Amino acid sequence: MKTLIRLAWEALFLKEESYAEMRDSPNAVLRGLALVALIAVAVALVGLVGTTLEWATTPDMRDVQKVVLEGIQQMDWYKELESNPEFREQVQRQFEIGWRIFPQVFGAPSFASAGLRIILLPLHLVLTWFLYGVVAHLFARMLGGQGNLGQTLGSTALAAAPQLLNLATFFPYLVVGGVAGTWMLLCRYVALKTCHRFRWGRALAATLLPYALLAMVVASFACLGGVVGALIFGGGTPQ
Amino acid sequence: MIRELFQLGRDALLFRHEAYVRHAAHADVLKRGLVLLVLVTLLGGVVSLVVDIVGDLRPTDIEAEIEQVEEGLQAFFQNMEAFGDLPPEFKKGFYQGFRAMRPGIEIGRRVAELTTPLPKPIGVILSNLGGFFSRPFSRLAGWIGYSLWVMLIAKLLGGRATISQMLGATALYATPHILDVLKPVPCLGGMLGLVATVWGIAIYVKALAVANEFSVGRAIAATVLPALVFLVLALMGLAGLLVFALALGGA
Repeated sequence: MKTLIRLAWEALFLKEESYAEMRDSPNAVLRGLALVALIAVAVALVGLVGTTLEWATTPDMRDVQKVVLEGIQQMDWYKELESNPEFREQVQRQFEIGWRIFPQVFGAPSFASAGLRIILLPLHLVLTWFLYGVVAHLFARMLGGQGNLGQTLGSTALAAAPQLLNLATFFPYLVVGGVAGTWMLLCRYVALKTCHRFRWGRALAATLLPYALLAMVVASFACLGGVVGALIFGGGTPQ
Repeated sequence: MIRELFQLGRDALLFRHEAYVRHAAHADVLKRGLVLLVLVTLLGGVVSLVVDIVGDLRPTDIEAEIEQVEEGLQAFFQNMEAFGDLPPEFKKGFYQGFRAMRPGIEIGRRVAELTTPLPKPIGVILSNLGGFFSRPFSRLAGWIGYSLWVMLIAKLLGGRATISQMLGATALYATPHILDVLKPVPCLGGMLGLVATVWGIAIYVKALAVANEFSVGRAIAATVLPALVFLVLALMGLAGLLVFALALGGA
């Protein structure tokens, strides 16, 4: 455990030695898996503390909902149309639907989401680590890389280290933002460069190609979804 | 370590070449650069934090503030009219838009009056501290995001720095932002912010040149090119939108 924490800390600062140590470890995949899961659980637990403090300093959302609805009902446009019962009912319905979504979107503290993250975040991080590792390994081998799959997975597991920045969210209202994602990209570059003993150009290609592939897959699904949607809702029939 | 970092920051501000070389060659270049960036960002935000907390803890008279904004708008229109007559519909529309915001302000005021499990002042302090501690992360995101492109161009221009050296060295760009400590001072704060930005860009170029062991000319090219590319892409996007809008209008 102590070694894993040290490796993650050094990997965060892009120290190639830590990635090489992981690559040369006899059980790199298991250590990688343990590291990713450990970071994810720690981040989710710490996030729960931050959420609790945010909840303790935020009014009850049911009271906020009441105030907002009353405020809307005091607006001129509402008063002009409130004699119509259908309109009143529709506003009430739309407002309730919106209230299920918007508070979460605008960062209202939610114990349910914070609690769920303890399960979902490790799953998400482990899955993305594994998928990225496998795809990056395929590209790395195509580009002449020398590492095996276990070494690639071990090294790229260290790229989860920037998630440690999210430990700062134990502090309420603190926003880490996109820095962890960008930093992970840098770590993945160093991981693949070290693991496969690449020069910078090939390491960069091996790092970015999985992202390009993902973008292509998403775009293809979006196009496919669009076509299917057009066929279903547009009333057309396939030729 | 803090004393060493203070020395490094001072030397970076004074463009002392030896300090840049020593820093770029240091085994912990990235760690040192990051710690300096975080410390400077936090120190630069201390006064703003205190001002914001005091401002938020003070009871506010919403009506007086709305009146103040309306007076400000009137003064603005008077100043504008010194350069030419404004169409009455424009002024009317502006005031109507402003008054339309009033119910929203009222909702905000009532929400602010709702009770919370912990006393209100604790919430005010915690939310301001949260914003304060978020500042280094937002600076890190902007700096790393832009530096990725700079690194790519520096490599293409023959740069020799490793990724840690490049990031660790260019992190020094944040040092002049210690001037942000005077940000809340009206007028002076904004001017010093501009000075810090220009000074920071100059440090960035110098650090890039030293870390990559290439000329300042190449460092300037590597620093500026990503911004130029983004600008050209943005202009192309705007032109595309304009053509699309014109085509739609024509149709």
